[in-house]
Amino acid sequence: MREGYGSPWPHRALVVFSLLVIFFLVAPLAILVIQSFTNESYLSFPPPSFGFRWYREVFTSSDWRDAVGLSVLIAILVTPLSLILGTLAAFGLDRGPMRGRQSLYAVMISPMVLPHIVLGLGIFRIALQLNIEDTLLAFVPAHLTITVPFVVISVGASLQTFNVTLEEAAMSLGASRWRAVWHITLPVIRPGLIAGAIFSFIISFDEFIITFFLATYEQTLPLEMFSTLMFQVKPSIAAISTLTLAVTAALTAMLMFRGQILGGGRIVK
Amino acid sequence: MSQTQGGNSKAWWLLSPGVGLYILTFFIPLAMLLVLSFAKFENSVTTIGFFFDNYVKIMTDGITLTIFYRTVQLALMITVSCLVLGYPVAVLMRRSGPRARLWLLFFIVSPLLTSIIVRNVAWVLILGRSGIINDTLIDWGWISTPLPLMYNTFGVVLAVVHVYLSFMVLPLFGALIAIDSSIEEAASSLGASPLRVFLTVTLPLSLPGVTAGCTLVFILSMGIYLTPVIMGGNFVLTLPMLITDSVRNLYNWPVASAMALMLLAAIGAMVLLSARVQKMVGG
Repeated sequence: MREGYGSPWPHRALVVFSLLVIFFLVAPLAILVIQSFTNESYLSFPPPSFGFRWYREVFTSSDWRDAVGLSVLIAILVTPLSLILGTLAAFGLDRGPMRGRQSLYAVMISPMVLPHIVLGLGIFRIALQLNIEDTLLAFVPAHLTITVPFVVISVGASLQTFNVTLEEAAMSLGASRWRAVWHITLPVIRPGLIAGAIFSFIISFDEFIITFFLATYEQTLPLEMFSTLMFQVKPSIAAISTLTLAVTAALTAMLMFRGQILGGGRIVK
Repeated sequence: MSQTQGGNSKAWWLLSPGVGLYILTFFIPLAMLLVLSFAKFENSVTTIGFFFDNYVKIMTDGITLTIFYRTVQLALMITVSCLVLGYPVAVLMRRSGPRARLWLLFFIVSPLLTSIIVRNVAWVLILGRSGIINDTLIDWGWISTPLPLMYNTFGVVLAVVHVYLSFMVLPLFGALIAIDSSIEEAASSLGASPLRVFLTVTLPLSLPGVTAGCTLVFILSMGIYLTPVIMGGNFVLTLPMLITDSVRNLYNWPVASAMALMLLAAIGAMVLLSARVQKMVGG
């Protein structure tokens, strides 16, 4: 605690309150993880006995396998495409003329400001028109629409700190523009690229409402979880949730250790 | 970037793949919704034209408007709850040393990347009829019938706050960290009590962050579908649920489009209001 904030009591109250808020954020997930290891046929806390029963169930069920498979497939298609489209746009914005840059930037991140329910409704409509609803041809572009803005932002932020003279130096030594970008610029802005890729993957993997409109027979993981949850609350839902949590936690940890979100520690100095 | 002041307008071609995607998945779909909202829907047949029937219907059928108000009310409750829970955390983050601040930031940022449906599942397991709280209280003999902890406004607000709290804390922290602490020190060296310093210096200077956070959480809450459905069942109806139902079950695109535009109008109004407030508070 720094000086000048008065007596310790208000500060202690602040600490206790904040810890309670963090408990509120974390405890439900912790409980979920613990419950997923129950060996009983019902959910209770704490579970009377522990085991991997429901994980076996999840891994052997074709419904869950199909849903996970489709979600992973979509995310794997979306992530590189999102990275390419977003990075190209970020370069264009960075290297284009100053005039109009602001408005073009606004265009490139505009899907972010629209509620996903409205975006989903619109995309469902055009997908019906083109007869591609319930196919990857609809799922992938739909997810790209919400992931590309994140790449534009994260790569754009990295490009802002990149010194173009480095690239120009490489070119004056005889490298082509492509070679200079590939060997100089891209490695330097790598944190932004990694952040963009991880954001794209997680957002696509977790996307619900747009896919909910588009999907009829195909089920992504969030859709399958939703319909299971609406039908019955079984321990298998806790197990699949824990698995999802593990995947996103691993990706988040990668992101944090790359220092992108926390500003490379700059923010805490 | 200053080096590219002149810039090469050829570089803008790099935007074309992204813009092309947006035209197909964003601009055309939005235009379609706008056109559809003025179409006529009779006996399951949609006639394109310039009719106000859908707007008249949603304004006068009594149900849509009620649910719209309910959605706004719910979004306001969520926003205020996030502010009350988030502000003290943001203040503590500002006051903490580097290590503690990093930990707090970790706990605030990481939920942003945690699956929304997984977090809703967690709340169902806790608040449900045979969730942890009800099971435990019945076991202890404190209650005989389960408490209604979800399938009501309380459950919805709690679960949505859990999802959106980070969106409140980050702008608050941003505004608080930008305050020059020497202003507060000056106030307290002139004899102001800590409470007075907070109320007359810190709080007013943090208002741009309060406005930004509240706007963000309000807009997000207006459009959320998943959590209210899971936590509210059919007992808490919101505009996004009506929109989804109109399309998926009634195939009434014109009315759904009009409702979607109503939602956009409400959000647009909120953005304008927020811009005004930002000007007033000097953000």
